[in-house]
Amino acid sequence: MKRKNISKVAAALLSLTFVLAACSSGDGGSSSSNNNTADNNTSEASAPSETAENEADSKQYKNEINIAMTAQPPTLDASLSASNAANGVAGHIFEQLFTMNLDYEPMPELAESYEANEDGTVYTITLRQGVKFHNGAEMTADDVVASMNRWLSVSDRARTLLAGSVFEKIDDYTVELTVGQATSDVMILLSSRILFPAIMPADIVENAPAEGVAEYIGTGPYKLEEWKADQYIHLTRYEDYQSVDLPSSAYSGRKEAATENLYYFFVSDHATRIAGLKTGEYDVAESVPLENYDELYGQEGITLYSKPSGSLNLFFNTSEGVLADVDMRQAILAAIDCNEVMLASYANKDHYTLDPGYMNIDQPQWAVKSGSEYYNQANGEKAKELLEAAGYNGETITLLTTPDYQEMYAATIVIQEQLRQIGVNAEIASYDFPTFMETKDNRSAWDMFITSNSYNVIPPQILAVNSSWAGLDEPQVAESLAAIRSASTEAEAQEEWAKLQQFMYEFASSTTLGHYNSSMATSDKVEDMVYFDHTIYWNAKVEK
Amino acid sequence: MLGYIMKRLLSLIPVLFVVSIVIFMIIHITPGDPASSILGMEATPEEISELNERMGLNAPLPIQYKNWIVKVFHGDLGDSIFMRQPVTEAIKEHLGPTLSLALLAQLIAIILAVPFGIIAAYKRGSAADTVIMSISLLGMAVPSFLLGLFLMLLFSVKLGWLPVAGYRPMKMGLWNHYRYLILPGFSLGTIQAALIARMTRSSMLDTLYLNYIKTARAKGLKEQAVLLKHAFKNAALPILTVIGQTFGTLITGAVVIESLFNIPGIGQLILNSITRRDIAVIQGVVLFVTLVYVGINLIVDLLYGVIDPRVRLDGK
Repeated sequence: MKRKNISKVAAALLSLTFVLAACSSGDGGSSSSNNNTADNNTSEASAPSETAENEADSKQYKNEINIAMTAQPPTLDASLSASNAANGVAGHIFEQLFTMNLDYEPMPELAESYEANEDGTVYTITLRQGVKFHNGAEMTADDVVASMNRWLSVSDRARTLLAGSVFEKIDDYTVELTVGQATSDVMILLSSRILFPAIMPADIVENAPAEGVAEYIGTGPYKLEEWKADQYIHLTRYEDYQSVDLPSSAYSGRKEAATENLYYFFVSDHATRIAGLKTGEYDVAESVPLENYDELYGQEGITLYSKPSGSLNLFFNTSEGVLADVDMRQAILAAIDCNEVMLASYANKDHYTLDPGYMNIDQPQWAVKSGSEYYNQANGEKAKELLEAAGYNGETITLLTTPDYQEMYAATIVIQEQLRQIGVNAEIASYDFPTFMETKDNRSAWDMFITSNSYNVIPPQILAVNSSWAGLDEPQVAESLAAIRSASTEAEAQEEWAKLQQFMYEFASSTTLGHYNSSMATSDKVEDMVYFDHTIYWNAKVEK
Repeated sequence: MLGYIMKRLLSLIPVLFVVSIVIFMIIHITPGDPASSILGMEATPEEISELNERMGLNAPLPIQYKNWIVKVFHGDLGDSIFMRQPVTEAIKEHLGPTLSLALLAQLIAIILAVPFGIIAAYKRGSAADTVIMSISLLGMAVPSFLLGLFLMLLFSVKLGWLPVAGYRPMKMGLWNHYRYLILPGFSLGTIQAALIARMTRSSMLDTLYLNYIKTARAKGLKEQAVLLKHAFKNAALPILTVIGQTFGTLITGAVVIESLFNIPGIGQLILNSITRRDIAVIQGVVLFVTLVYVGINLIVDLLYGVIDPRVRLDGK
């Protein structure tokens, strides 16, 4: 009797499986045909432009690129938000007066040319004529002055580094920038890509609410078609786009808008992004988690991109608590084994580089090694001696962190263990990211924290020298920064920066733990995409 | 009946009022604010405070609460800082995907659970009972995201039958709409099925050994009629309660499954709003969720009276 029952159940289960499989297989057939229908529909809409392209090239290209990005940008107002997602998408809609090429050199974009007076306090900038905004209006000096002055007031970097500067209109196609203080980096700041000075129509800028402009109207090769909250951002080619006639190099030069539609899907789950790339749902997966890198490596049909893109940094509380004592901070520096930390955070030696510098290791101008004797010491004995000399008495040291950024969290756990090894009573305070940010501003609540920070173009932009970031407020820092910015030659500026980096290690205000690579993956049918500080799609196309 | 419904609806007001105060306090006591989400990681405290000031978020809490609650009574839940639209609009937009997914998942759950629950009860102690109950125990133990990942790997990545993730509105075609919801629907539905199946079994067992079932059998009714017409009808009340509860859970946000399969529903809305501290949206969605929960409970209570005439809702 029992046996009979079991076989009945088995049969029932088996038939259920078949029913499910049959349902799903039915899905399969229609699914692919539906896919085609969707494609046909979209290509119909863009038939004229596609035909032209096809004639020019025997290869057939899709009229859309589907990009899976990790998070929805908070806003596309690039002057306001330092978020990578915001700057990446906004870079396709908005343009600047000047922008960066592959070597991080300023290149003209909406500006035709510029001239500086002898003492470097006044810059006269001539604008390109006939450039039209997405709303059809021509860009003139009024728009530039309004946009640039807003940038000078809302962007923290611009406000600090270009304090007292102002833009004024000379005529319809000429503007004048008077800087508060003559420095050698004005053009670099104007062309900087984080919190970038996007040129928008004057009326939009003037009526912008506090949380960012209400309309996204730029001059770029793509215009915003639709932003479906929590789903996607859809950009379409701007047919009246006027490209500069220079070879394409990173953000600068010719922009083709080669593919008519860019869809940025917000796909926060890593596994979903990767699975979607494998099945062709997405052409690009921005940010591949390191644990998936090896899985994708060498896989047919997938191209992987990886490059150093920032550093993992440890910041000490130099103003309050146990670590206000420099000897205590030096003791901790002596104990840290950076290799262990980076391995825990980035999983594989191919994904990071150990280097004491705070700046981009691929940028020879600023990649200096001063302070290396304090970096990655991994010397427990020395640390214990320094602790004893500093009179450490078992006080709690609080490591602030957030599990929202896996690499920051992993590094903190390793540091906690390394500190325990030398007898330090280290405790972790872990919060979600917004709480972490708020707690960080309360100096009595933490002793150290770790953040991963993208590279900056010049030393004055980095957070390690920013007094409001972790509270480093030594006069020597401000003096060195001024010296770097007013240096007459590149060599002199580099020397000043090397001195400042040496000071930061001696004072033990912070330390670099290492430099990380960022990775992304695309289908191997994607052509001419540029993986730079942000991913650039304006010349990219995807073979059908 | 009408009086009862009115009474229940009126009792909703104090519930919503208490919920509104609690959620307002929780959000405002929790550190973090929308300004730091807008400005990004590298923003300075001064910038954050300045933006909060300009957005009116530095005002004293009682004043902020009063401003908000007055608007709520006028049917205005405020505007989302990030989505640039009224919260009611945002909820309306995100409700569609959730509703579709919840209905599909619930359908799957009921189709799987009720027959198997009845079989398990009818064949109590048999191998069929053991197998069904073991599977349902497994179903309750497996987290939905794990099942979701497994289904995704099998049906999307390996077999390529269904899309990995995403959502298409119904206006793009019924099939196009549902093929994106099948995998998440199964991930949620099978797990809810486990709970419903267990409840069906125990509720059926309670009735199957009652005297009127013996009478039904004694008068020569077919076993099928005994089971479905007599036993199941009387066992239905607790099953209905569980179905109501699970539906409430599904509709108020299958947060994990929605974010795994990238479905822009209520779950995603609340998750994203919390991470970016979109205060008006969090408050609005929580009030809405409360309303839905209470509403579903009310409907379930009303259905009691329909299924079992012995239940008198108006106390007469």
